[in-house]
Amino acid sequence: MARMKFLLDAERCIECNGCVTACKSEHEIPWGVNRRRVVTLNDGVPGEKSISVACMHCSDAPCVAVCPVDCIYTTTEGVVLHDKDMCIGCGYCSYACPFGAPQFPQQGLFGVRGKMDKCTFCAGGPEVDNSEEEYKKYGRNRLAEGKLPACAEMCSTKALLGGDGDVISDVFRNRALARGKGSEVLGWATAYGKPDAKPEGADGKAAAKAGSKS
Amino acid sequence: MIKTFVCARVWLLFTLICGLVVAPASAWSADSSAQEQAQRQNTQPGNNAPVWREVRKGENPYQTTQVRGVETNILMQSAGETWRRLRNGPLTLYGGLLLIAIPLLIYGFFRWKGPLRLHGKPSGRLIERFSDWERLVHWSTAISFLILAVSGVIMLFGKYVLLPLLGHDFFSWLAFFGKNLHNFVGPLFVFCTIVMFVTFVRDNLWRMIDFQWLTKAGGLLSGEHVPSGRFNAGEKAWFWFGVILLGLISGASGLVMDFANFEQTRFVMQSANVVHVISAVLFIAMSLGHIYIGTVGADGAYEAMRLGVVDEMWAKEHHELWCEEVKAGTAKQHFTDAVPAEVKTQVAGAFKA
Repeated sequence: MARMKFLLDAERCIECNGCVTACKSEHEIPWGVNRRRVVTLNDGVPGEKSISVACMHCSDAPCVAVCPVDCIYTTTEGVVLHDKDMCIGCGYCSYACPFGAPQFPQQGLFGVRGKMDKCTFCAGGPEVDNSEEEYKKYGRNRLAEGKLPACAEMCSTKALLGGDGDVISDVFRNRALARGKGSEVLGWATAYGKPDAKPEGADGKAAAKAGSKS
Repeated sequence: MIKTFVCARVWLLFTLICGLVVAPASAWSADSSAQEQAQRQNTQPGNNAPVWREVRKGENPYQTTQVRGVETNILMQSAGETWRRLRNGPLTLYGGLLLIAIPLLIYGFFRWKGPLRLHGKPSGRLIERFSDWERLVHWSTAISFLILAVSGVIMLFGKYVLLPLLGHDFFSWLAFFGKNLHNFVGPLFVFCTIVMFVTFVRDNLWRMIDFQWLTKAGGLLSGEHVPSGRFNAGEKAWFWFGVILLGLISGASGLVMDFANFEQTRFVMQSANVVHVISAVLFIAMSLGHIYIGTVGADGAYEAMRLGVVDEMWAKEHHELWCEEVKAGTAKQHFTDAVPAEVKTQVAGAFKA
């Protein structure tokens, strides 16, 4: 079984917010709820990078760990989903999540929280696949239709990749090796440093050349 | 070795507190982080730790997003993991152990010493101990406290204890009901606590005689008679450390989480939650002692708060000084005869042993 993942290639993201719009449109998400957002680092500064972020469907998900009613679960494909019928709206998942994924459509005065809403990796919820009820609560279940998440499919530069972790990491690896740039070509050249450091770039270039040959 | 460890911890705490105070005012510096990254590239090419450390801090004013809302420009927050470890770890474990240990200790004490009986014969003359207003304040606070305690305990421990017994559907219904009750009763409880303070503070002020009560632990173990005013030092400790201190800490931290519409950050709510859990668990633990001594632990105590009157003999044995003040007419409370017959029988009935 595939392990679903999102992967963002920061070298390619142009901050068009197409993924955000695709998500809103696909699931008819109400105002104030953003299952996905684009964060720009060093906006307007040379070397700025944009990163699209949503639920990252963690293996050891903090939201799952802290949910007091155990309504969040991980599917066999590694997608983290939740049951809105059980959700009590306590907001603990939003305290725990590093990515700000859980959203709470405010329902009442004084910020009373409604049912939590978040990215489903376009995999719906616990209801029957593609049922009316599932669509109303969680949006479209594209995975059940044999499609990948709308945000990644819509991405105009293919910066955002979503799908089987093995496949998308191959795509990214080949890309990085071919252009010799990005995630500094597959990991740290030196994790713990060298006492006699060489001038910068020497290791990186060597790795890129070796990669493009293979 | 141990000394340096302790020193390090104190220092850490100190810097943390200073950090909390200074943090909002600290100016983000583009130069220092860029410099750090450049230096790291010299020693460890390709190691972007300084960049990511800065991203996690989220203080860079040039870190932006189109999405409106609180903290939407924060790519990652690290404090959530700390909060998760605290809540699912020591807070749940030691909090749970405390709430199991205290009832066991109280039960052990009950089996060992039994309830406080009246030694003398009830005289049949009644003293009004709590006015209608005082009882209204007490029971409003007590009932809202019980609702908060039960629903809070369900939210923290229910997943481990009730969920396996009740199943997901029924438990989530219970927790949903409990959470909403908790959020609505919470502000009421804070209000009750403030009224409680105003109502009872006068008789809870420290008196020299309380020192005697404390040194003898109220005669709880020795069975010795220790005189006290209207409230003894034990009751005063519960008033100041339980109702007022823990009540206000729990209340204030609870309101921070209850009203999530003031753009407070996740870190503020995580911190509030940790404070809330610690103070609430201690509060519940203390309340168990209060509830014990106010119900099965002492004959006539429950009737005093339920009906508002006590027998003269009960007053003499439990609050001798107060009893004398009532007799002398210097206390606010006084002898009363204007009570229905069934109240009299209920007060007398409390002392059948």
